[in-house]
Amino acid sequence: MAGRQIFKPDGFKNVEKDGSVCGFEFQFKLQYYRGITLSIIRDIAVTIDGEAVPRENVLLTVNGETFSLEECRTVVSPLYRWEFGEYATVTVVREGGLAKGSHHISVLQHIAPSYMPFPIQATCEADFEI
Amino acid sequence: MSEIKRSVSLYSYQDSYYDGKLDLEGCLRETSKAGATGVELLAETMIKQFPNPIYTEEFQAQWKEWLKKYNLTPTCYDAFLENHIYDNRMLSLGEQVEMMKRDLKCASILGFSCIRTLVSTPIDVIEGSLEYAEEVGVKIGLEVHAPFSLNSTWAQGYLDRLSGSASKFKYFAFIPDMGIFCKRVPDVVEDKWRRQGAQQKFIDIVNKAYEDRVANGFTKIEYSLNLGEANMNYRNANGQAKLLEQFKELGASPADVGYLMSSYTYSWSDPQDLIDNIDRICHTHAKCYNTHEDYVETAVAIPEVVAAYKKCGYDGYLSTEYEGGECLRADMPVDDIEQVRRHQEAMRRAIEA
Repeated sequence: MAGRQIFKPDGFKNVEKDGSVCGFEFQFKLQYYRGITLSIIRDIAVTIDGEAVPRENVLLTVNGETFSLEECRTVVSPLYRWEFGEYATVTVVREGGLAKGSHHISVLQHIAPSYMPFPIQATCEADFEI
Repeated sequence: MSEIKRSVSLYSYQDSYYDGKLDLEGCLRETSKAGATGVELLAETMIKQFPNPIYTEEFQAQWKEWLKKYNLTPTCYDAFLENHIYDNRMLSLGEQVEMMKRDLKCASILGFSCIRTLVSTPIDVIEGSLEYAEEVGVKIGLEVHAPFSLNSTWAQGYLDRLSGSASKFKYFAFIPDMGIFCKRVPDVVEDKWRRQGAQQKFIDIVNKAYEDRVANGFTKIEYSLNLGEANMNYRNANGQAKLLEQFKELGASPADVGYLMSSYTYSWSDPQDLIDNIDRICHTHAKCYNTHEDYVETAVAIPEVVAAYKKCGYDGYLSTEYEGGECLRADMPVDDIEQVRRHQEAMRRAIEA
């Protein structure tokens, strides 16, 4: 039997800018039980095929607006909550994106709800094809 | 005839909501189908762009229409005081009171008579919000969740401090979480750790130790401003450190230790605590983990708790809060709709017995 779905199955793709591939993106759901302001995200640590992605190369998009993880620290508007049960898009800046074929991704969602004595760290993994 | 009423906290349906099987209206429909007449809402979970829609006439009209359609009374609004919303500082007391007032206002708009505030809420914030609570007629209910308990120095700390607030004091109450009446560690917790490799011999030691704590009485948590430290002291006063030592000597695996640590998140209080505090209880979280086909909950002493509430004439709600899904969702589907249905039936039987 399978556990819950975290990543959107058809959400993995390379992204282009000005005609050249500048990275890749994926969509996944928050592993918590309520929506959160982006300000309580401590990290979204991406490891692709065993290689850690630098924090500054990770961008988060919710409700049509894109923020770097550094910018997320001050995002408290109701417009840009990461809603419970909804996918957020993560864009990883990486020249050339990902090669055609199979890949493995591991993403640590690290959030800090105020009332919890310890932050929540959820590791989300998937195998996918480009 | 008992006046105890039944409600469902929509927390219970989080897996169906996550999967997109139920939306907010779907949750209300299922609540009604399960036989409850009350509904408890986590606005931050199911109202998108919280709190904005709550202030609009459109949403307010929709909410009222749903309540009428499904014959539901709003019981409790679960507030989350996000007082560390910025990572570089704690919100000031004034900002926290403002946040608490926002939740009281939202609760009032949606017709709730109380809000649930978490154990981490500073007393100053509750005290600073009581006047507004009285103004909007919404009680502030402090959740009494394991490892916390009634009739403890922790609970008394709030009572001592807030009783000075005269008439406003009646807007402060407790919301016991029935997870403080666990006679054993839930079977779904045991099964989860077994799937991760916990061995029967260590599971048996943990279960025997829990049984002994129930028989001899748990040592209650002491009041402290440092909740993490208070929790650790509480665990060790109830034998966690000693058991850990024993596990090490016996060569326990990480999964064995995981089950041991998990077992300390459950506790048993004497249901007499409810009777002693009945004038100060505005709502109840009827926590459940796994209600079997024969309508017996794996861990929570539903019959004893309901009997205590009957004895003192409780006329509030028991609000199903299904939490067993957290032990299942990584490995298998969660049937939260069926779990809520069974749990409501289990409570109905106890209430009408």
